[in-house]
Amino acid sequence: MAQATLERADVETGRRARPRFADRDGLLAWVFLLPSVVYIIALVAVPFFLAIAFSFSDVTTGNPSFNWAGLRNYQRIFGDPVFWQSLKNTLVYTGIAMALIVVLGKVLANILVANFRGKWIVRFLVLLPWTTPVALSAIAWLWLLDSIFSPIDWVLREFGFIQGNMYWLGKPNLAMASVIAVYTWRTLPLAAVIIMAGLVAIPKDIVEAAAVDGAGFWRRMFEVTIPFTLPVIAVAALFGAVITFTDMTVVYLLTGGGPTHSTQVLASWAFIKGIEGGDLAQGAAVALFLFPLLLAAVIAILTAVRRMEVS
Amino acid sequence: MSGRLTRRTFLATTGIAAVGTAVAGCGGGGEQSQAQKPSGPAPKETFSEPRRKLSGNLRLLMWSHFIPAHDEWFDSFAKKWGEQVGVNVTVDHVNVEDIPARISSEISAGRGHDLLQYTAPLGQFEPSVLDLTDLVKEANNRFGDQLELCQKSSFNPNTNGYYAYAPFWAPDPGDYRKSIWRQVGLPNGPTTWDELLRGGTEIKKSQGIQMGLGMSQEVDSNMAARALLWSYGASIQDENEKVTINSDATIATVEYMVKLFKGAMTNEVFSWNPASNNQGLIAGQFSYILNSISAFRTAQEANPEVADDIFFVPALEGPEGGLAAQHVMYNWIVPKGAANPDAAQEFLLHYTANAPAVAYHSQLYDFPGWPDLVPQLDGWLAKDPFGSKPANKLAFLKDAVDWSVNIGYPGPANPAIGEIFGTYVIPNMYARAARGERNPQQAVAEADREINGIFEKWRGEGLVGG
Repeated sequence: MAQATLERADVETGRRARPRFADRDGLLAWVFLLPSVVYIIALVAVPFFLAIAFSFSDVTTGNPSFNWAGLRNYQRIFGDPVFWQSLKNTLVYTGIAMALIVVLGKVLANILVANFRGKWIVRFLVLLPWTTPVALSAIAWLWLLDSIFSPIDWVLREFGFIQGNMYWLGKPNLAMASVIAVYTWRTLPLAAVIIMAGLVAIPKDIVEAAAVDGAGFWRRMFEVTIPFTLPVIAVAALFGAVITFTDMTVVYLLTGGGPTHSTQVLASWAFIKGIEGGDLAQGAAVALFLFPLLLAAVIAILTAVRRMEVS
Repeated sequence: MSGRLTRRTFLATTGIAAVGTAVAGCGGGGEQSQAQKPSGPAPKETFSEPRRKLSGNLRLLMWSHFIPAHDEWFDSFAKKWGEQVGVNVTVDHVNVEDIPARISSEISAGRGHDLLQYTAPLGQFEPSVLDLTDLVKEANNRFGDQLELCQKSSFNPNTNGYYAYAPFWAPDPGDYRKSIWRQVGLPNGPTTWDELLRGGTEIKKSQGIQMGLGMSQEVDSNMAARALLWSYGASIQDENEKVTINSDATIATVEYMVKLFKGAMTNEVFSWNPASNNQGLIAGQFSYILNSISAFRTAQEANPEVADDIFFVPALEGPEGGLAAQHVMYNWIVPKGAANPDAAQEFLLHYTANAPAVAYHSQLYDFPGWPDLVPQLDGWLAKDPFGSKPANKLAFLKDAVDWSVNIGYPGPANPAIGEIFGTYVIPNMYARAARGERNPQQAVAEADREINGIFEKWRGEGLVGG
């Protein structure tokens, strides 16, 4: 009542009421956005532009002073066979890991949405690999894949599948398969949960109608659930690809990029070259090479998703 | 061998390996020993008055020593010195593998610790650290002549300055299992690379036990590769820092390594991390490895039976002599942005003056860079106070300085050598040939290209000669 009186008085005196802080949508939006903006600028944009600057300089870990080096670092990395091997490995690593993650993620998501006893404990267990710190899980895998003491080898020997040791991390192809498998094991729960969210959002009546019309499991899968969840799967794949492309932890902890750089990926080579080797400028150039590839992948996937949504 | 592995043996060996891993993981460096109870008293610590009045804080960053007893002693030693001189000392220990990244970030930020230590030369940081020439001169005045090995690991002849201070180092002998080598007629272990090949091949054939010279992307593989190079008269650079890797001698070493791999090793050596050879030796799975005494110290606790069977040999003789790299070279640097450089340098002098305590509390792992400071070292090595059986097992280390050289030998440990070390060019050269991906000539030519590129870049920085 008092408020109404005051407002009337303001109108009468020709003055406009000053909106309160809580009523100012524009300002509030900025206030709520500010932490994210600061975070992105400080921890993403600044390092990104710094890396661009470094890649055109002669900066080393011991000498942060900036001297213009033009394209010299790029010329050097393009002339380095390890760089090209790392690029190839990155594409193989990402491609195979993503294919496995999407396919297995869909399978896992189907299991997770099904009704059965102990569903919640299964969901909890499935999510564990994602929540375990990568350093811990990689060390556990390091032991599981050990060249001499591998329990996996022991089991295979006991069942008579192998005679000696597999040397999971000692042979190039097996080492690459191992890092892909460990990465897939770790990332699969995230993809499964994202796809699961898509699955539960499908209107039940459509699925039921398809079933009533005689559509079997596979037909419902390919003509109902997959088309409905495709945008979600694409988003999961996009996130997964970007994270996989820039991941170095599994490779670094399991193989250090070996044997003979056969599991070296761009992210781990950038770290080894830039930090352990001391050549920060070349390390930055290697790391930046990820950017155009990632940008192209992101644009392609987002365009595809938009088309799917429109259709 | 694996075909004869029973469940009982498997559980025992994996258990031991797990203990080894856990112990190694605590220090993070991949190899770490449990404390041993000494049989004699520790040497008395000394205190000398600093040259100037000190105050404020002193922050140290160093590795978690492979011998944990050393860190317990060091932390209280540093604190006590701080109390005596009026400085508040804090010591941070981190995993040795994380130190280069920590140093890089602190140098970049221009703030952090006043004194940073790493276990390998730090020449690449020269533009951002204080020139410690005066400090080294003072140490030479007080303690006698510094070992050439330490001097070459901390001095840049191109800038004529000491970028680091290297008061201690650790040798890198061969560790072998006596009971295994006795069966091939070499009870005192191999003394030459030829004996290593012959004996190792016979052991693998007759006893199914491999040896372990790594060809992986880790530090021990780097050390083993260099020992082989030098013993054949090959090297990465000459004394004037000219690249010399592409030579007949290097090709001969690659041919040798191919034979050694085919005869005495398995694919396992390509998958190693710094803990692998320690774990294998402690678990009784290897006939021979190249490592410091820390693997043996760990075995004394984890597997005493194996420890008693582990013996040592100095650097193996090749056609051109027998040399090994230091296993660890302590490089202390003082960043230009250090808040208390005076206290940092005075502490280093005090720490060096107490070299007997350092050697003792590291269980004879750390050797002095100024050898006159530890006259009792030979006595300890002749009769190990930390329970070696027999007690003179480490006596051979009295001459370790004669067969140990710096990374970069015969030249200095410059930043190019550091980058080659950090990017594992040499172990990969051997691995490519051993795996049959390249023939020896191609493997050497590839390494030569990589090495020349790295040298060229650092010459542009003015930090490398040639």
